[in-house]
Amino acid sequence: MVYYLRRIGFFLLTLWAAITLNFLIPRIQGGDPAEAIVSRLTGQSQAIDPRQVEAIRLMLGTPDEPLLQQYFDYLGTVVRGEFGVSYSYFPYTVSHMIMETLPWTLVLIGVIQVIAFVTGTLLGTWAAWRRNGAFDSLITTTSSFFGTLPYFWIALLMIYVFAFELGWFPDGGGFAGEETPGWNWGFISSAIYHSILPALSLLITAPIGWIMSQRNTMVQTLGEDYTRLARAKGLSERRIALTYAARNAILPNITGFAISLGGIVGGSILVEQIFNYPGMGRLMFEAIGNRDYPLMQTVFLFTTVGVLTANFLVDMLYGVIDPRVRRGGTN
Amino acid sequence: MAMQEGRTFGLETAAEDLAPEPYDTGKRTRFKVPNGLAIMWANRKSRTGLILLALFVVVGIFAPWIAPYDPRAGIFMPLAPPSGENWLGTTQLGEDVYSQLIYGTRTSLIVGILAGGLATIIGLIIGMIAGYAGGWVDEVLSFFINVFLVIPTLPLMITFAAYSPIKGVTTVIIVIGVTGWAWGARVKRSQMMSLRERDYITAAIFSGEPMWRIVFREILPNMTSLIVAGYIGAAGAAIGAEAGLAFIGVGDPLTISWGTMLYWADNSGALLTGQWGWLIPPGLALALLITALTLVNFGVDAISNPHLREE
Amino acid sequence: MAVLEVKDLNVSYMTKKRPPFHAVKDANLTIDAGEIVGLVGESGSGKSTLGTAVLRLLDPPGTITSGQVIFDGKDITRASEDEIRPLRWAEMSTVFQSSMNALNPVVNIGKQFKDVIEAHTNMTEREIERRTAELLEMVNIDPSFSRFYAHELSGGMKQRVAIALALALQPRFVLLDEPTTGLDVVVQQAILDNVKRIQKEFGFAVLMISHDLGAIMEIADRVAVMYQGQLVDDQPARDLLLRPKHPYSRVLIGSYEDLWQPASGSAAEDASSDASGQPITRAFGGKAPVDIAARHGMDADETRMLGMDDLQAIAEATAQDPAVVRAPAEASAHEAVMVIENISKHYTRRRGLTKTRVDAVSDVSFTLRKGYITALVGQSGSGKTTIGRLITGIEKPDSGSILFGEQRVDQFARRDLKEYRRHVQLVFQDPYSALNPAHTIVHTLTRPLANFMDVSGRAARQRVAEMLEQVGLTPAEQFIDKYPHQLSGGQRQRVVVARALLSEPEIVIADEPTSMLDVTIRAEILEILNRLVRDKGIAMLYITHDLLSARALADEILVLNKGRIVEGGDANQVISEPQHDYTRLLLSSIPNPFAEGLVAD
Repeated sequence: MVYYLRRIGFFLLTLWAAITLNFLIPRIQGGDPAEAIVSRLTGQSQAIDPRQVEAIRLMLGTPDEPLLQQYFDYLGTVVRGEFGVSYSYFPYTVSHMIMETLPWTLVLIGVIQVIAFVTGTLLGTWAAWRRNGAFDSLITTTSSFFGTLPYFWIALLMIYVFAFELGWFPDGGGFAGEETPGWNWGFISSAIYHSILPALSLLITAPIGWIMSQRNTMVQTLGEDYTRLARAKGLSERRIALTYAARNAILPNITGFAISLGGIVGGSILVEQIFNYPGMGRLMFEAIGNRDYPLMQTVFLFTTVGVLTANFLVDMLYGVIDPRVRRGGTN
Repeated sequence: MAMQEGRTFGLETAAEDLAPEPYDTGKRTRFKVPNGLAIMWANRKSRTGLILLALFVVVGIFAPWIAPYDPRAGIFMPLAPPSGENWLGTTQLGEDVYSQLIYGTRTSLIVGILAGGLATIIGLIIGMIAGYAGGWVDEVLSFFINVFLVIPTLPLMITFAAYSPIKGVTTVIIVIGVTGWAWGARVKRSQMMSLRERDYITAAIFSGEPMWRIVFREILPNMTSLIVAGYIGAAGAAIGAEAGLAFIGVGDPLTISWGTMLYWADNSGALLTGQWGWLIPPGLALALLITALTLVNFGVDAISNPHLREE
Repeated sequence: MAVLEVKDLNVSYMTKKRPPFHAVKDANLTIDAGEIVGLVGESGSGKSTLGTAVLRLLDPPGTITSGQVIFDGKDITRASEDEIRPLRWAEMSTVFQSSMNALNPVVNIGKQFKDVIEAHTNMTEREIERRTAELLEMVNIDPSFSRFYAHELSGGMKQRVAIALALALQPRFVLLDEPTTGLDVVVQQAILDNVKRIQKEFGFAVLMISHDLGAIMEIADRVAVMYQGQLVDDQPARDLLLRPKHPYSRVLIGSYEDLWQPASGSAAEDASSDASGQPITRAFGGKAPVDIAARHGMDADETRMLGMDDLQAIAEATAQDPAVVRAPAEASAHEAVMVIENISKHYTRRRGLTKTRVDAVSDVSFTLRKGYITALVGQSGSGKTTIGRLITGIEKPDSGSILFGEQRVDQFARRDLKEYRRHVQLVFQDPYSALNPAHTIVHTLTRPLANFMDVSGRAARQRVAEMLEQVGLTPAEQFIDKYPHQLSGGQRQRVVVARALLSEPEIVIADEPTSMLDVTIRAEILEILNRLVRDKGIAMLYITHDLLSARALADEILVLNKGRIVEGGDANQVISEPQHDYTRLLLSSIPNPFAEGLVAD
């Protein structure tokens, strides 16, 4: 019970910290990015909604107002969801752009990460069970190297080999241009087709971390007293491996999964940019290139909140599967 | 070992106590470092890592002598494929890719050493204070650590770097150092907490040792292998982070680094023109350097954990 | 017919880098049906390896290099896992050390019975449930606990579950591997009593491995002694006690004898020793807990299996009895160094959202005197460690006073405490964590000299060398520059004593200084403490759970229960004429190999 309360408390506090960080970062370095944006926007000749100018000022800084005042106004905009207008996607608002791109990222990244975790954990379990065997040696030696290959480099290679040389897959985009977005088969199948290459490039490196950590944790649980006792009981190898060793080993890994979510988002930014995939990562990339500060900041905010929420959900899940947390005991 | 009949048991002097461990050579060693390096060399994985790392360091130091051309000299035909003159081809500005690859070693090494060092130091200070002080200080610092752990690092770094008025390697180093310390802090905090409870620390207090001596002369020496392992890991992560930042376009496009090479390669459509000489080597170099560091860390693990010493 | 035969067994640990380590050499052992055999040896003697090998549970790099293990006539030495599996648990089962971590933490208790029963029988689910309930009731645990998880049970309950589990399939052979190590003396007694009872009822053979000869003697018919990988002695229990054949066995028995002999100079003739002049036999035989319980109006059924919780209850009940404290006669001859009066300390424990108040120490008073050893005896949770912390100033009492000369230790400010440290020194329990692994012996030992006495350099080194010689580490030069990991446990503990004495303290507090050492070394360490403390006129507080070593070493014994002193007085008197029920409970629980009036040779 206390566990859940602590988790919720932490979630709320970190949320607040992330929002505040988002507020502080542009103001730390001095300079006035707001000014740059506003002058660029007004230079666009279109009629600018003064509220949007207001929103930008609130997010990035009004030179005359006291900091604390700016802070509270900023919090207001966050709550109301007014994040201003995007410079690079004028006249669309930042919120609109994020809503458009969010599903793509969620589907690609979310699904892939879960697949990577499951595959990695299974492979790691297998490697640990056949400890020091052929499979295990193979996995441990290659993972050191493969785990260090940069995501984006692999992605580039994949495009080069599979899209250009072999022409099996499209070289980019979320879907074929001629399809109309919506719940029609043409669109969906095209979307799936376009996501295979990015997904594969992620799947090469993503499971590796899970393989190694599951393997190492499980090697440890295999040495625990309760596993020895399970063997003394004459239980089947499978039962010992799964119910005794793996079941205990997976717990710290789930916590690890929660923590790693932050890093995963980083990788996705790169992948999306390379594949020209219409997700939030690419949005961020464009925002950087264009010095589109409102967009950049809000994407940062959203990704952070997303990661926090996912983290929170995993933490809650952990509370369910570890009986020591679910039912705190005497010792 | 047969029991010798007729031996008396009673209050023998302690010299007859159970024999010390098999690998006690009885030599007087005051220093542990030479011993440490020997262990790392004996471990196959870390030996490979050390050799690889040494290679990179040599290339970095002697870059001006190894590289055939000035990496910024745009004297060749732009976007040319590999040839006798330019082993890996040329960039969009007509610079020699191979020379850039050589010089890029320097950037990666410097970023790794400095940014890794910065992150390690920040993590060490915060972790040690949190672990030793306990109480509300620990609660506050731990919360701080957890926040930085949970917030996605790359977006944070990007945001920091984007707002920085100065572009350049220094900014990248600072940004990476300031965002990547949390993991190390957490590890050192828990080690500090467990070491603080050891009896020999209480004994030191009762021997009249002042607090600074306890922290620096009693506790810290027992944390060395952890700190070293953490530093090597942080350096590796920093190298990867720099590449990522450069590739996205947040680093300094004017620096020569493997990450910026890939940035320009991608930007200039190297994919389309099939310039594998520009695309593949930088990525490989990154992977090899980071792998070298990881392998060296196996050796550091072996020093701190004798169980791992037998390969 | 022999249930288990071990013939010329050799077990070695083969590692790639170092030469193989021979843990077990040419072991020969036979266990007949229904026989209880004890295997005693110190740490590193190979006894656990032998037990593991016998069960065919050895993990690489451990391997059986030669010899045979024959179970029930079948050679299982090289049998495959598949061939052995039907035997596992159904014929041979085991109980691990204190079962702290032997139960799967993420699966409930009932399922852990279910999986083993299912694996070996064809019982239906309902039958399995019924059997599990039966087994739990046999060890006095309510069957509804099968839904619980391991972490929700107390230590004593976990141990009982482990025993019930071991008997689930009514095996012919049970291996007990250090089953009572780490448990309180009273709990230990209860568990051994109950194992004896159950064994008599079901008739399985037992191999009990332990470093504690006393515990083994409680239940074993035959005892084998293991030293450096070899079985050096193997005789019926009584015979081993009276006529140990091997020199090592003699040392082992000797160290126990030391503890049971009356301290020289004190009343050697007292009423409780029987006519043959034998050392003291156990008071009240094995029925003490039951009798004491009855006296306090508690349910006292002999056939129930008593666990830690029941004994807690008895301890609580006896805590209400009035204390009996008599100052020893010669005490006044020694000058008082520290006077502790009516100290109390409580803690609030917070679990979840509830708070509970724990009274660690209540109204404790005693005096420490020059050249005089006071023993504070209590089980875990009795408050003895807290008292040590209060005296050293690490914590402050809620009430009462601690007078060191004229100064009130309980009112010291931080700066005073720093000054105070040199007067009170500690000898710790664990020799492996009491010395900083990063520093040489000389470095560690010169610190107090530098800090308190302003002595450094060559003079300091000279003093350190002298002190090392005094604690028996001669020649000092051989030890002075070594690192702790190069010394054995006993040698390390001597260094710890040397460090404590170097600052020339008035008071030395030794908290379980020998409980982590092998039995054969314990006497030596106690002897060093004894000699040095009396020679230098230091006041010593000896904190321990072991009444017997307290008697061997101390002048005065104070028995602690639940934070209160229930009995105090001259060491020998407290042991020979205990007045308080709790003291009697403790005494009755101490495994005494020499019980039942054995006649000396």
